[in-house]
Amino acid sequence: MKSIAQKEFISTLRDRRFVVLSALVLALLLTATLVGRASFRTLQRERQLAQTTVNDQFRNQPARHPHRVAHYGSFAFRPRSGLSLLDAGVDSFTGSAVYLEAHQQNSVNFSQAQQSGSLIRFGEMTVAFVLQLLVPLLIIFLCFGAFTQERETGTLQLLLAQGTTLRQVAWGKIRGYCQAVALVVAPALALAAALLFTGEEFASNTDLLARLVLFGLSYAVYFFLFVVGSVVVSARQASSRAALVTLLGLWILGGIILPKATANLGASLYPTITKAQMDAEVHEEAQHGVNGHDPHDQRAAAIKAALLKKYGVDSEEKLPVSVAGVQMAAGEAYSARVYQQHFAALNATYEQQNRLSDWAGLLNPYQAIRPLSMGLAGSDFTHYVHFQQAAEAYRYGLVQRLNGLQASMGYGDKERRLDAHTWRELPVFAYRAPNLHWALPHLFLPVAALLLWAMVLSWLGLRLISKTSIA
Amino acid sequence: MSYLLEARELRKQYPGKLALRGLNLQIAPGEIFCLLGQNGAGKSTTINLFLGFVEPTSGAAFVNGLEVAKNVLEIKKHLAYIPENVMLYPHLTGLENLALFSSLAGFQYADQELLDYLTDAGLPPEAARRRVGTYSKGMRQKVGIAIAVAKHAQVLLLDEPTSGLDPKASNEFSELLRRLSGQGTAVLMATHDIFRAKEVGTRVGIMREGELVDVRPTATLNAQELEQLYLTYMN
Amino acid sequence: MRVFWILFSYEWRHFRAAKGLVLLCGLLLATGLYGIYYGTTEIERQRQQLATLPELTHRNVEELKVKFPGPTDAGDIGYYHSTFAVHHPDPWAALSLGLRDVNPTYVKLRLLGLHNQLYASDNTNPMKTLTGNFDLAFVLVYLLPLLIIALCFNLLSAEREEGILTLLLAQPVRPATVLGAKLAFRAGIVMALAWLLSGVGMAWAGVPLDIRVPSWLAMSTLYCLFWFGVALVVTAWQRASAVNAVALLGVWLVLVVLVPSLLSLGVAAARPVPQGIELTIRQREEIHAGWDKPKTQTMNRFFGLYPQWRDTTIIRERFAWRWYYAFQHLGDQAVASQARAYAQGLQQRYDLVETLNLFSPAIIAQTSFNALGGSDLPAHLAFQRSAARYHDSLRAFYYPLLFRKVDFTHADYAREPQHTFTSQSEMPTVRRGLSKLLLSVTAVLALGFVLVRRRSILPH
Repeated sequence: MKSIAQKEFISTLRDRRFVVLSALVLALLLTATLVGRASFRTLQRERQLAQTTVNDQFRNQPARHPHRVAHYGSFAFRPRSGLSLLDAGVDSFTGSAVYLEAHQQNSVNFSQAQQSGSLIRFGEMTVAFVLQLLVPLLIIFLCFGAFTQERETGTLQLLLAQGTTLRQVAWGKIRGYCQAVALVVAPALALAAALLFTGEEFASNTDLLARLVLFGLSYAVYFFLFVVGSVVVSARQASSRAALVTLLGLWILGGIILPKATANLGASLYPTITKAQMDAEVHEEAQHGVNGHDPHDQRAAAIKAALLKKYGVDSEEKLPVSVAGVQMAAGEAYSARVYQQHFAALNATYEQQNRLSDWAGLLNPYQAIRPLSMGLAGSDFTHYVHFQQAAEAYRYGLVQRLNGLQASMGYGDKERRLDAHTWRELPVFAYRAPNLHWALPHLFLPVAALLLWAMVLSWLGLRLISKTSIA
Repeated sequence: MSYLLEARELRKQYPGKLALRGLNLQIAPGEIFCLLGQNGAGKSTTINLFLGFVEPTSGAAFVNGLEVAKNVLEIKKHLAYIPENVMLYPHLTGLENLALFSSLAGFQYADQELLDYLTDAGLPPEAARRRVGTYSKGMRQKVGIAIAVAKHAQVLLLDEPTSGLDPKASNEFSELLRRLSGQGTAVLMATHDIFRAKEVGTRVGIMREGELVDVRPTATLNAQELEQLYLTYMN
Repeated sequence: MRVFWILFSYEWRHFRAAKGLVLLCGLLLATGLYGIYYGTTEIERQRQQLATLPELTHRNVEELKVKFPGPTDAGDIGYYHSTFAVHHPDPWAALSLGLRDVNPTYVKLRLLGLHNQLYASDNTNPMKTLTGNFDLAFVLVYLLPLLIIALCFNLLSAEREEGILTLLLAQPVRPATVLGAKLAFRAGIVMALAWLLSGVGMAWAGVPLDIRVPSWLAMSTLYCLFWFGVALVVTAWQRASAVNAVALLGVWLVLVVLVPSLLSLGVAAARPVPQGIELTIRQREEIHAGWDKPKTQTMNRFFGLYPQWRDTTIIRERFAWRWYYAFQHLGDQAVASQARAYAQGLQQRYDLVETLNLFSPAIIAQTSFNALGGSDLPAHLAFQRSAARYHDSLRAFYYPLLFRKVDFTHADYAREPQHTFTSQSEMPTVRRGLSKLLLSVTAVLALGFVLVRRRSILPH
């Protein structure tokens, strides 16, 4: 078995076509890594600069009324995750900046996709793209003749006459091909790791290291699937031509047609509403109460009455707190709660849409590795939602603090301002991307799908091989 | 005297191998010329040169007085060809294959005529309407023969045509060749079968390493003598 | 010619017998029909969503009528009243959705500063936008070449590998005629599929019968011909079927995947876009600084733009709406050149892609289909310009009320300007695309013919 692996490995390396193709793939991988890092750095710098700018602007405000400051607001810029230079995931299609202000939750704007023409729809040259689609293609070209060629030249009979079993031949071949693939992919991943960890921003980041290790492992399983799958197909098909055509057909189906079809089907099955509609509903519920029997004006009046009662006074002027500030805080709390419900419902719908594709991962390894890879890289939808929620939490906290400041100003606050140093004491937005521990539970399905594929292929596929015809 | 097939100083150089070293050959109407020789002696190259499938390095091949290299399309109207292993469209029936190849050669036959050609070549009538994919090698060979006959060509080029045929069918094929040569067809046949060459051929040529080393009329020697001659050249 | 037709008619029999190919054609037809279905329903969904917007405006107005029962300061209405600028799709967009799912199809506008409203995005599922649309253009640009590859990768090599070619070429048949008949037959099938799908798509989407119908058909035809040209070149090379398959798929990969993604990188690097976020930050600074500046300074700057209001009374009160809107207006003015630069930068990116798309017919076809559908970046930029003009018209409607201190009455809601915008096909882009595609087709077919002539086709 070892000698078969050795033979496959050596003859692969001697095959000029393989050498040319793998040099090409390797070159693409390296380009993608370097380009990924360059664009990562540019974007990261831009966003960091913008975040520092708005933070400084916020801290250096002149004396203002706190509600003015709440309307002045701030911005949250989404920093890119470290591994997104390997897999940009949905990053190009999500906005990068959200304006945080009182009373309303704004959309995250200025996505990369909005800043380019439809060319971006052809796909982006990232490491993940090369690993997910081009390396499998390389594997197919490498392995389609694994059995058919031996059968066509009659060497399979010779091998078996030496006392080896079909299963041993198959495993030997799989091992040899795996070595050859590792030779192409490993340098690129090593370079990526080196690039990542020499950058000062990532030095001694264990979370990133763990993510990178899992990233590498997942792709190892993914490539193994393709090697085994190709060898099985090669064993079951009558001719090399048929094996190649079958494998290429499967590649097209799995890599291009199915992902698109499931994503589109998901969007058709679970429709969502527009932001305009959602905002209108949030506004309506905030105004008239979630159940429609609790209008905003009544709530405001109740708050005033409660305050008067609490402090045992009969007019607003005698209160130690600003009624408007307290009412504003209550209104913000109410509308934020309503918004959260709608936001959760919207995201639940998106998750439903995406789940169709995730389940398709059980049928199609590409649709298993894609979410897994993005999830590990921190560039998937869940990480994006995490950012949105962090931005909203910050917005809410900031606005409520400002409302608190306003309340504490007492009656007649509108005529007065708070000192400029007040703003320096407020926290600024600093986003901490979630760690691997948080991300892993979301990735259960794709991990299970990949492992299931690996087990089924190794077991069923090899059983099929041992039943295959020899001549 | 006009020859139907003629080779003048025909040379063919493949990368790393000289396949034919200045072949001279004339075959007249009614002649059956059998080429004997081991694998790689240049028999198939000679036939391929007459077919225009291969371009000569120097020299020229003529079919019915036309230089092959300059009249690639025209000469194919004058010759029919049966390869060693006749391959046909597997999803068409024998009849349909014959109809296709005949129509390409410019003959439109009625179904019954096509069937006659096939049965004459020895194919059972019920097989003619089956898909070729179900045929044995011998049956395909018979369709190949029918295709060649139905073309009514003046020249017949044969490359081991009887391989895969049973002895009875081989004999019938020899009969057919004699009949055609009687009608003035010139036949060039590459074969390993010394006895059949002696039996059906009017002349035999022995090829070795791209050269025609000996040519004899078959009437001048019997089968044993021919075999002896062949073996001396091979050693 | 006679031989050509014999071969052509037998190709039909060969094709019928090849169950896999028939299945593949059926599959492409099915995916094409799904693409049409998806595209039309998606556009229908967008239309329905846009149709609900007037209802939202109506609800907003009803609420304001309750909030302000009598005539009121127009400034209050301008602040609380929102309306929509809407980007209606052209029927052709159903066949080529372009970026209609990435870019918002409406903008919610209030009388406040334009630039912190104009770039708001809609709810989108980024996983879905990342994966892209399964529309007819996708089927034609991506999948049709794959069908052509499947039909052509063993054009002559199958006959050669099965040994049939010897007998075929022993007949008085020009090899080029064999090749021609086979190509013509396959081109016939593919063209029929492309035209059928296009026809169904056009009927389903209900497109108007104008110059765009032949443009779309010509575009699909030329694009198919290009791929047949590639198949011809590879066939003329006369390698084994497996090598042909690899070569053809390699060309597909390079032209449909690699060149576009590398071009995308190159264009982004060559035409850096001034960041949109910078402009919104700057605008916020300008607007909010307005609160802290002396009112006369703000108003004098504003009167520089609108001298007709110069004679209005001096603002002595702590707050006046016209002052508020004046500094909102000045905030927009301050970033006007940045906003122009941003839009121009995006347009330049698009233009550069259009210049460079000669490298890949797939990009030419996709760009042209999107241009036909009015669903690419230029259409969105045109919409944004239109929305900006609409915002101007809102200002023109409210400013006289504000500065002449005329109260806003309930009847004024109906007098407020409305916006509508329907994307236009970018016909110059389509024409340029057609001529470039014609050029590519000519080049690749010429190369194919030269190769077929040079390298005589042999049975072995």
